[in-house]
Amino acid sequence: MQRLYIHPLPVRCWHWTNAVGIVLMILTGMQIRYLGLIDMVSFRTAVNMHNTVGFILIANFFLWLLYYLSSDRIKVYHPELSPRKHFLGSFQQAYYYGYGIFKGDPNPFHVSIYRKFNPLQSMLYQIIMMLLLPIQFYTGILLWDVKRFSAQVDFFGGVRVIDTVHVLIFIFLVFYVLVHVYLGTLGHTRMAHYKAMLTGYEDVEEVAAGTEP
Amino acid sequence: MGTIMDGCSTLRKIPRATLCNGLAIAVVAAALALPPIAIPPAFAADDAPSASDQNCLGCHGSPGMEKKLEDGGTLPLQVPADMFAKSIHRSIGCTGCHSDIDPAAHPPAKNDIASARSFSVAMTQICRGCHADKFDQWESSIHAALVRANNPAAPICTDCHNPHAVIKGAATAIDQIPCKKCHTEIYAAYLGSMHAKARLKSEQSYAPICSDCHSAHAVKPTSLGEGPEAACFGCHAGVLEAHQKWLPDAALHFEAVSCPACHAPAAQRKVDLMLIDSKDARPLGTEQVGVPVFEASSQSGGKGIDALTLWKLLQTLNRSGMTGKTVLRGRLEASTGPQAHQLTDKSKAISDCRTCHSAGSQAFQSVTISLLEPEGQRVDYGASADVLNSVISLQSVGGFYAIGGTRIKLLDILLILAILGGLAVPVGHLTLGWIFNRYFLARSQTGAPGDRPAGGGPKAT
Repeated sequence: MQRLYIHPLPVRCWHWTNAVGIVLMILTGMQIRYLGLIDMVSFRTAVNMHNTVGFILIANFFLWLLYYLSSDRIKVYHPELSPRKHFLGSFQQAYYYGYGIFKGDPNPFHVSIYRKFNPLQSMLYQIIMMLLLPIQFYTGILLWDVKRFSAQVDFFGGVRVIDTVHVLIFIFLVFYVLVHVYLGTLGHTRMAHYKAMLTGYEDVEEVAAGTEP
Repeated sequence: MGTIMDGCSTLRKIPRATLCNGLAIAVVAAALALPPIAIPPAFAADDAPSASDQNCLGCHGSPGMEKKLEDGGTLPLQVPADMFAKSIHRSIGCTGCHSDIDPAAHPPAKNDIASARSFSVAMTQICRGCHADKFDQWESSIHAALVRANNPAAPICTDCHNPHAVIKGAATAIDQIPCKKCHTEIYAAYLGSMHAKARLKSEQSYAPICSDCHSAHAVKPTSLGEGPEAACFGCHAGVLEAHQKWLPDAALHFEAVSCPACHAPAAQRKVDLMLIDSKDARPLGTEQVGVPVFEASSQSGGKGIDALTLWKLLQTLNRSGMTGKTVLRGRLEASTGPQAHQLTDKSKAISDCRTCHSAGSQAFQSVTISLLEPEGQRVDYGASADVLNSVISLQSVGGFYAIGGTRIKLLDILLILAILGGLAVPVGHLTLGWIFNRYFLARSQTGAPGDRPAGGGPKAT
């Protein structure tokens, strides 16, 4: 095993701020939407928390964007341009998670400084970071002050349409967070990825010479 | 040009400006022409009617004087002399309004008044001669529209103002408000409101009576969302800022929730979805939309129009080739007019978000869809409560949404599936790993199962 510095400090700060923020957004969102069924805090407190944390997450998103745009580490988000290679890698990764991992097969993906996402992660994270989160932030801002942004709200069909889009992404994020927390335990030890996201260093199996990483 | 009565049923137009100038001549002429047929009542020197008026009152001051009409009804002809003496109209005298009467042929031999109502309606033109500004305001009102639609109960000038007993400021005394004659339930509710209580406590109070909110003459349907709330804000300046201190998205609440919905806490609430033209926010009329769809829906199940029918109606109204775009403007309001007037002190107003933002809220169990009748009156058709939380309404009721209270049920199901799915992935994966370890790897002895955690996958730390 060798230790590679995969997660720089700004990325780790962004990640954990994002993690705590999204969990808070889910909890307060549940409270807002299911008032009466859930009574953790008052509706008004939940709305105020939801708004505050939402703006923190938006600021955090732009810090993340700024960091990657000004760093060569942005290569980790470069998409695989060969569809064949991408889908083959995705299939291998899915096969590993669905079957190989039980047999003790090695992970087909090998982390490196500029290539830290496996094909499944790469595809998913690009969708989340470049599409779903921006839409979620945008719809959230519209819902934060519907009157102020009434022209845009009306353009998209009204507040119910905006809210439905916001809730659909929220539903996806609920599913994603549950699965993400579990997939984080599938490193070479249960806590390996969690430790790496705290220290920045991933334990990486040394690849035999001549082997494609 | 003003008009003045000629006989009792026909109108002769005269210049309005000359009307009052001619009154003095008419008074003198009448005084000379009419013989005193009864002893006029005695008056104090400062409020005594003129000699000619006393001549009129000689007969018309008699109690119970009336005239049989063509329709079988009667027209009261008595003018209580003492009231007329105190009236502001005393200064113009009888002939100021009744200049059409020919003293030589009075009373007329032929009864030419069809009904008391038609006589009173025709006489409104006399009022117009002096009160043109008020008359013009009245003409723009819902009351005038109902008169034009031949509604026999619609009020005209003399229904609110007794022309022989008009006293300046009388209509502002809380117990003399003429509106109560027709709007009895609303008046009773108003008397229980903090506005009436403040008014009763002190006549000097600024607390409003009917005309302060609804205007005295240009009365508009209150539910059109223009007049009354503008009136609320007229006195309660700075309410938006005050609400913004504690109410999230206060401006949106002001748009979607009528004041009484919260400030009349005892009221039942309902959501009204008004069909409007999105360009100018003008309500659509029954003649534009047609009403069979509403009537059929309410007759078939009794619940009113459902989400699918409403969606189809909007599709029809917005089909290609139609000018403008029809949308629904939703608004939470008190269920009835009387309930909307049960306004309380602000300390008792609803400020608990649960009232509207929890599932099954009473506020969203009653829904109406409203249109304007040709006369300008709002007409409400019942709608099923599911129009507020059906996924079908996503587009049709896009403009009205209360978080929690009108949430779409389908999204709740999707969330449950997402949570179950999100839990099923780790549980299923761990179970598969455990089964694999126990039944395959252990038997094959080819691997080293002890190196791996019980659920398969990576080692536990």
